[in-house]
Amino acid sequence: MAIAPERTALVVGGGISGLTVAVETAEAGTKVVLVEKNPYLGGRVAQLYRYFPKLCPPYCGLEINFRRIRQNPAITYYTMAEVQDISGSAGDYRVTVRQRPRYVNEKCTACGECEKICPVERPNDFNFGMDTTKAIYLPHEMAFPMRYVIDDTVCKGRECAKCVEVCKYGAIDLDMKEKTFEVQAGSVVFATGWNPYDATKIDNLGFGRVKNVITNMMMERLAAPNGPTKGRILRPSDGKEVQSVAFVQCAGSRDENHLDFCSAICCLASMKQATYLREKNPESKATIFYIDLRAPGKYEAFMQKVQADENITFIKGKVAKIEEDPETGDVLVTAEEVASGKKITERFEMVVLATGMEPTTRMVKLPGNLQYEQNGFLRAVQSEGVFASGVATRPLDVNSSVQDSTAKAIKVIQTLLGGK
Amino acid sequence: MADEMVLSPDIEFIKGVRAAGGDTVKRCYQCATCGVVCPISPEDKPFPRKEMIMAQLGMKDALLASPDIWYCHNCNDCSKYCPRGARPGDVLGALRQMFIKEYSVPKFMGSIVTNPALTIVALAIPLIIFLVVLGITGHLHIPEGRIVYSHFFPILYVEAIFIPLVGLAGIAYIVSLRRYWNTLKRVNGTEYRMNFGDAFVETILEFLGHGKFTKCEANRDRRTAHLLVFYGFVALFIVTCWLTFYDYVMGKESPIPLSDPMKWLANMGALSLLLGILLVIANRTKAKGINTKSSGFDWTFAIIILLLAITGILTEVIRLAGIRTLAYPMYLVHLMFVFYTIVYFPYSKLAHMGYRALAITHYKMTGKDIK
Repeated sequence: MAIAPERTALVVGGGISGLTVAVETAEAGTKVVLVEKNPYLGGRVAQLYRYFPKLCPPYCGLEINFRRIRQNPAITYYTMAEVQDISGSAGDYRVTVRQRPRYVNEKCTACGECEKICPVERPNDFNFGMDTTKAIYLPHEMAFPMRYVIDDTVCKGRECAKCVEVCKYGAIDLDMKEKTFEVQAGSVVFATGWNPYDATKIDNLGFGRVKNVITNMMMERLAAPNGPTKGRILRPSDGKEVQSVAFVQCAGSRDENHLDFCSAICCLASMKQATYLREKNPESKATIFYIDLRAPGKYEAFMQKVQADENITFIKGKVAKIEEDPETGDVLVTAEEVASGKKITERFEMVVLATGMEPTTRMVKLPGNLQYEQNGFLRAVQSEGVFASGVATRPLDVNSSVQDSTAKAIKVIQTLLGGK
Repeated sequence: MADEMVLSPDIEFIKGVRAAGGDTVKRCYQCATCGVVCPISPEDKPFPRKEMIMAQLGMKDALLASPDIWYCHNCNDCSKYCPRGARPGDVLGALRQMFIKEYSVPKFMGSIVTNPALTIVALAIPLIIFLVVLGITGHLHIPEGRIVYSHFFPILYVEAIFIPLVGLAGIAYIVSLRRYWNTLKRVNGTEYRMNFGDAFVETILEFLGHGKFTKCEANRDRRTAHLLVFYGFVALFIVTCWLTFYDYVMGKESPIPLSDPMKWLANMGALSLLLGILLVIANRTKAKGINTKSSGFDWTFAIIILLLAITGILTEVIRLAGIRTLAYPMYLVHLMFVFYTIVYFPYSKLAHMGYRALAITHYKMTGKDIK
C-alpha cells in the first residue's frame, strides 16, 4: 500500500537524533525521507570511541539503527544531500533537496582497488585532518552506506580516471551530476546537530599554533581503533606515546566571546577520555582543569570512579595560557589554582581542549521560516508538523538526545497518523 | 574549625562598586582566566579574581588594604578575555575611585571631587574665591595697556590663594597615603626582602620609563598617552617652580619672553599634555574589542585636563594676539582648572600616583614585583 505524501515525514540530519526519529516514526507506519549532508549516516556519534558512563562502543547502537533502516522499505535516505528550500503549509510541505554527486554508485563493494591506484591525497575530515585519505575514499571503516565516495574538490576527474579502469564492478561514474528534487511531506524534523567549536578562535589556548594541543573530538579519534593511530594515544608532533595530558575544560564554552553556554557533556567527556588514557597508557597521568564540574544525576557515580584514580588530578582554575616548549614539543599550561591562590605553570606531553558543541544553525541558518534562540539553537518551531530534535535544540548527551528524538517522533506520528 | 571565617558583607559598599563603574562585578563566576592573562599579575596570590569575589561579597576592609588594585595598570587584558563580561579592569578602576574617596582627608573633599555630578561645585569654589578676591581688591576690570596677567590678578594674590591651599592638600595627601600604607602593611606585610627607601627609589625610576605599561597587550597604546600626560605635568611643574624663582630671586616680571629656554619647556609641556590627553580620550572612545566602559570619574578627569591644556594654550595665544577682552577672562578660567588640578589632586584621579607608587614599592619589598 502506497503511503500518501501527507503521511511522509522528512527528517533533516542522519545523526543519532535523526536516525531515531526516522526509525521510530517509520515503524509506526509513516513514510520517512532522511536527508544527510555527509556521505555516511551516524553523524558525530560515528566518530566517538566510547560512550560515558558505561564506556561501551557507540557504533553498536548505530548499527542497530542502520539495520532498522535497511529492513524498512518505508525509509528512503539520501546522503550528501541538503535541504535547499521549504514551502507549502501544514500537512503539505514542499521541500527542495539538493544532492551532491558521489561519483560511486550502489554497485560498489568497497573492495578498495580504486583507493590503491588513486594518486591524490586529501586531509581526512573524519579524523579532523590527523591523517589523509585518497581522493576516492571510504568515509570510515564501518561507514553506512558501505560505499566509496570521491572528493571532487581534489579529484583530477577524467584526465586521471585510473580508478574507473581498475573498478571491476563498474561502480565509478565520473559524469555523475548534482541532483535537485522535491519531497512532499506532512511533517519536517530538523535534527541538524552540532559541530565542534572552532578551537583556533580561542587565541590564548594555542590550538593550531602549539602542535600538541588537540580537541576532545580529536582525542576520540586518537583513541578509536579505526582512527589515525589505530587507537593508540600518540601525540601529533612526534608520535610519542603520551604519558601526561591536561584536559582544559570550558575551552570556548560559557564564554561570551565564544559559545555563551555550557555544552553539558564536556566534563564527562574529559573524564571519560582520562580513562582512555589511563587504560591505554598505564603509566600515564591526567590533569583536568575546570571551573565547575558538571556530572548530574547518575553521572555522579562515574565522576567518583574517575576521581578515585590517583593518577587523575582535578584542579579548579581555568587554563588561560598555553605555550609550547620548542625543544621537547611539550606544552606549558598556566592556570590560577583557585584553592591555593597561586598561578601554576605545569608541563604536559599533550593538551586536550574540551571544546563545546556549536549548533550547526549558529552561523548558517536553515531555509524556511524557523526561529532560533540567542545561541543559534532551534527553538520549538511554530508551524504545525515542523519540529526540531536532539542537539539542534540544546546541548545534550547521546542518551538525552535519543530521548528527545523519541518524544519528537511521537509528535510526528500524531501529526501524520492522527491520534492527538 | 580553624578555617572558619565570618563574612560581614557591606551592602552599601557593593552598591558603591556597582555605581562607580563596576556594575558587572556580579557576573564574575571565578574561572580565574583574568589573573593568568594579566601581564603583570604575580605568581603568588594573583589578581584580580580574588578582588572580584571580595567585591561581590562586600569585603571592603580587605580590599582597602590591597596593594593589587593599585598595582593594576588597567591594561584590560582581563576584561578582553573575561568570559562573562564581568569587566574586572573596570571593577578595579571603580575600587580605586572609591578608595581615593575613602582615604581622603577631609572626607567631604573626597565626596565632592570623586562625584562627577558635583564637578560644577568643585569648579565654582575657585571661581568664587577668585571673583571675591578680585572684587574686594578692586581688580575686577580689564586693565589697559600691554597684556600682563599680573596687572589683572597680581601674582601675590595668586600665591596667597594657591600656596596655602596646595600646602594643605599636600599634607592631607600625605595623611591619606600614610593611612593606606599602614593598612597595607598591617594586612599584607610579611617579611621584606628590600627596605622602603630602595624599593621606593626603584619605583620612581621605573615611573620615568613607564616600564609596566609596556607589558600591556590589549591596551598597549595607553603607554604613549600616559607618558605624554606625565611628562607634560613634570615640565609644567618645573616651570611653575622656576617662575617663583624668576619673580622673586631674579626680580623679573612674567611673562617669560618667547626666546627664553624656560618658555620653550613650558610650551612643550603644554603641548605634551594636550596631545597626551587627546590620545587618552581617543583611546577611550576607540573600539578595541575590549569590553570596557569609562566611568564618569574617568571622563571628568580627562575632560578637566583637556580643558586645562586648552585654556592654558589659549591664554598664551590670545595674549600674544593682543586681544585684551578675551585674554583676561581666559586667564581666569585657566586658573580655575589649575586650581582643580593642583588643589584637588589628593581627591581626583591624579591621586592614584601616590597610591600606585606605594603599592609597587610594597610589591618590590615583598619580592612579588614582576620584572
